[in-house]
Amino acid sequence: MKLSQVALLAAAAGGCCVGLWALQRTADFGFGNDDSPTNVKAEFYWSRLAYSSNMENAGYGGWGHRGWFNSWSRDYPKADRQFLIAMHRLTRIDGRPYEQVVTLDSDEIFNYPWIYAVQVQNWTFTDAEAKRLREYLLKGGFLMVDDFHGTEDWENFMNGMRQVLPDRPVEDLQSGDEIFHTLYDIDDKMQIPGEQYVWTGRTYEKDGYQPKWRAIRDDKGRIIVAICHNMHLGDAWEWADDPNYPETFASMAFRVGLDYIIYGMTH
Amino acid sequence: MFQFLFKYPSPVFTRGRFVLLGSWPAWLLVVLIAAAGGGLALLIRRRLRDAAPKMQSWRAWVIWGLQSTLLALILFLLWEPAMSVSELSSQQNIIAVVVDDSRSMSIADSDGKTREAAALAALEGGLLAELRRRFQTRIYRLGSQLTRVHDLAAPQPIAPVEPATHIGNGLKQLSTETADLPVGAVLLLSDGGENTAVAGGSGISLDAVQALRNRRLPVHTIGFGAEELAHDVEIEDVSVAARVTANARVATTITLMQRGYAGQKATLTVRNGDKTLAAREIELAPNGRLQTEELFFPIGAAGAKRLTFGVEPIAGEENLANNTVTRPILVSDAKRRILYVEGEPRWEYKFIRRAEEDDPTMQVVSMLRTSENKIYRQGISDPSELAEGFPARPEDLFGYSGIIIGSVAADYFKPLQQELLREYVDRRGGGILFLGGREALSDGGWAASSLNDLLPTFLPAGNHNFHRNPATVELTSAGIESPITRLLDDKEKNAERWRKLTYLADYEDAGSPKPGATVLAEMHVGRRSLPLLVTQSYGSGRTAILATGGTWRWQMSEALGDPSHDLFWQQLLRWLVAESPGPVMASMPQRLLMDEGHVQLTAQVRDQEFQPAADAHVAAHIVGPAGVNAMVEMTPSEEAPGLYQAEWTAEEPGAYLAEITAESAGATPQPLGSDVLTFQREDGVAENFHTEQNRALLEQLSAETGGRYWKLSELKNLPRDISYSEAGISVRSAKELWDMPIVFLLLLGLPITEWLLRRKWGVV
Repeated sequence: MKLSQVALLAAAAGGCCVGLWALQRTADFGFGNDDSPTNVKAEFYWSRLAYSSNMENAGYGGWGHRGWFNSWSRDYPKADRQFLIAMHRLTRIDGRPYEQVVTLDSDEIFNYPWIYAVQVQNWTFTDAEAKRLREYLLKGGFLMVDDFHGTEDWENFMNGMRQVLPDRPVEDLQSGDEIFHTLYDIDDKMQIPGEQYVWTGRTYEKDGYQPKWRAIRDDKGRIIVAICHNMHLGDAWEWADDPNYPETFASMAFRVGLDYIIYGMTH
Repeated sequence: MFQFLFKYPSPVFTRGRFVLLGSWPAWLLVVLIAAAGGGLALLIRRRLRDAAPKMQSWRAWVIWGLQSTLLALILFLLWEPAMSVSELSSQQNIIAVVVDDSRSMSIADSDGKTREAAALAALEGGLLAELRRRFQTRIYRLGSQLTRVHDLAAPQPIAPVEPATHIGNGLKQLSTETADLPVGAVLLLSDGGENTAVAGGSGISLDAVQALRNRRLPVHTIGFGAEELAHDVEIEDVSVAARVTANARVATTITLMQRGYAGQKATLTVRNGDKTLAAREIELAPNGRLQTEELFFPIGAAGAKRLTFGVEPIAGEENLANNTVTRPILVSDAKRRILYVEGEPRWEYKFIRRAEEDDPTMQVVSMLRTSENKIYRQGISDPSELAEGFPARPEDLFGYSGIIIGSVAADYFKPLQQELLREYVDRRGGGILFLGGREALSDGGWAASSLNDLLPTFLPAGNHNFHRNPATVELTSAGIESPITRLLDDKEKNAERWRKLTYLADYEDAGSPKPGATVLAEMHVGRRSLPLLVTQSYGSGRTAILATGGTWRWQMSEALGDPSHDLFWQQLLRWLVAESPGPVMASMPQRLLMDEGHVQLTAQVRDQEFQPAADAHVAAHIVGPAGVNAMVEMTPSEEAPGLYQAEWTAEEPGAYLAEITAESAGATPQPLGSDVLTFQREDGVAENFHTEQNRALLEQLSAETGGRYWKLSELKNLPRDISYSEAGISVRSAKELWDMPIVFLLLLGLPITEWLLRRKWGVV
């Protein structure tokens, strides 16, 4: 092959690489170029965190967040969509009507500054995932965790949380905290049970008798992780249209969720 | 040679007036010369066809020229030409001999002698004696002021010890003090080191020149010292804001000039005491060329500071004292409040607030429409602030130093509020930043609103110009120079940093910039380029557009700890409010007083509606070195309402602080506001700069007053030439010109030249 042909091929290959790089730089915006109704571009994306689960170690044979048993997807997607309907009706947030699943596998998560995670007693992180989530939170991202109950769940949740933010204390939120007063003034919080309340009449699960409204703050005192322990807001959103599920719980769950989102978008 | 040919010295011709002493009218001379020339031309033309062939060409007209000139010269002499010139009467006039005795005259660059020694040697070497033979003399020494001495030696010897040179003031003083004396001329022996002169300026005030001209007093100057140093780097000027906010990155422009180090490296520094705030290596420009360099430095905590700007000494420099200059800077930690109106919860809102939380001098007061009927307020000073929504009264709105309008439709503001926004920029002098967004700019109906004028761009038509698609960014040439967009000190690296910033989450087409607007950054969307950041001045204030709501990705998608997002927003919002005046704005023409202490304080006082407060009580509290503590009442100016003035003298060199406070008049005075100024008196520092001989200044001074600049080698003619002056007691005499040797040479030379030419052409 002549030198000129080699040079030509090299130039063509280089051009393709540059083009591919440019495409990747702009084309993979997390919301995609797909303009289908489920992928309308919006300001706010309800982002559910799909994490790796430790259930496989407990004999459930899971395959991480891609496995057949996905604790991250509890109540998904109905809870998310019902919540988004309420958000659309009650606020001026330009939100997409459909949820977004995000993972800690890539930097894509930085496009979604608000994420929601459930069943967090099952989450596990690799060092790279923990680092990414830590950076996400310290840069200004917001994490809301929900649907885990009792002492054992708390310990398991904290195992993961200590991997992400080893030195940051968890504190109990007071009624006067700003996060409960962004859109609605919520001074009469109660334990929000899951759908099991309909057939057990119990507001608690396991030994989680008291609702724990907790949070982790950054250096400037801004909440970066909002923790809803011993309650299940996701179920309240999901079963809000069930005549057997008490409206009081559903309404409170919507108000709390909206306050948390407004807080995450303002602090 | 000149005098040999023309009989008289050159001042007779340069300073005298040409006259014809003959009784016949001058017009007759012109007519006769024209007639003689014409007659000769006719005669030659008539005889041309009979002349030798060689003469039937241009040669005939050369002969005509020579003969006509000879005839004209003879006619000219018949009219008795002369120069009328004023001459000082012998022994009846005074020559003021002024010797510069400032410190720069101690530089030993005049054949091994100091400039002062060379000046005294010139005087004592015969010049003074020769002057005294014709005139009376008065000797003065000139430093910061003019002082008469009776002799060059004791009891008041002239020595180069004065800390400053004020030539203009000194000559003006001389003109005033000798108004009753027959001073015929001034002889100034100096290096021209006028301390008030700046690079490129004459340095002699018009007042001084006019005072000399009024008396027709010529200033003859003798220059001393090398006209340029062989090896020197000098700071010519430092441009830096007199007042900055705490922890800001301050931009300064340093102008320097060097000789002998072209192309070499030098280090510019900014110091606060012993602490180096910034240092940058530069390459020195060619010899004698003004070089301007930009330097950014962190100013640090609040307080009155005295910063030293300089260039590190280079081996072999002849003058190290001109390597540094100091400037007083007031660093304020007063919080400036910005009102941020946002029409919908969005990430940009959150991240702008977070960026400003790191800025102790800025407070963002925000109102966010969370739902149709709810407003979430942050940063408010009391529960009543913004409780009724966007302010509708000037006293409520004008307290903010800047306003950000996010994704808010124009019709959200009532007509009264829209007018208030216009007044806010136009009259109050505030800044408004418009962001891109779903309901912003053209998509928010701003193009059709009465506030369209405020915007720095012509908004595009339609209301679908906001897109949630990625856009990359790039600085324009104006943006590369702007401190708003400076993320890195190095311009090229900064431009590259912007190119590599992660893409914006969204963009809005803001249209095309209006005349006078400046585009600092552009967005690239596919093949299109759209303006991203556009600024403009409007009335007394300023407006800007940032045509996106997606810079938050610079915070989330850049590396943890990357300052780009926060730095950009802090700089943009500081620009927005930096020039917004407070209720009391104090100023003074010069904050650096060189060798003099006259201070002129001015304060513009406004009430809560930012209307001039004409009946306020305004006072300045001044503290300074050596326990200076003065309270100065400021009086209303007749020039403009709300303007107050005071004059004061800083007796001691050092740094001063003046706090100007204003309160309303009446039985129960209410505070209107206050402002703080810092200034500095420096004695003897200016003398270290421009130490080479400023020949241009001396020449200009002589030329403007009718004198002459003299070199040392030409002084023997000075006593004679100085006598041609119209000042003092002078006599006007007519110097006849008919017997000048040049005339005889011409009378002989013209016919001889004709004869020689004819010989050469063979037509004798």
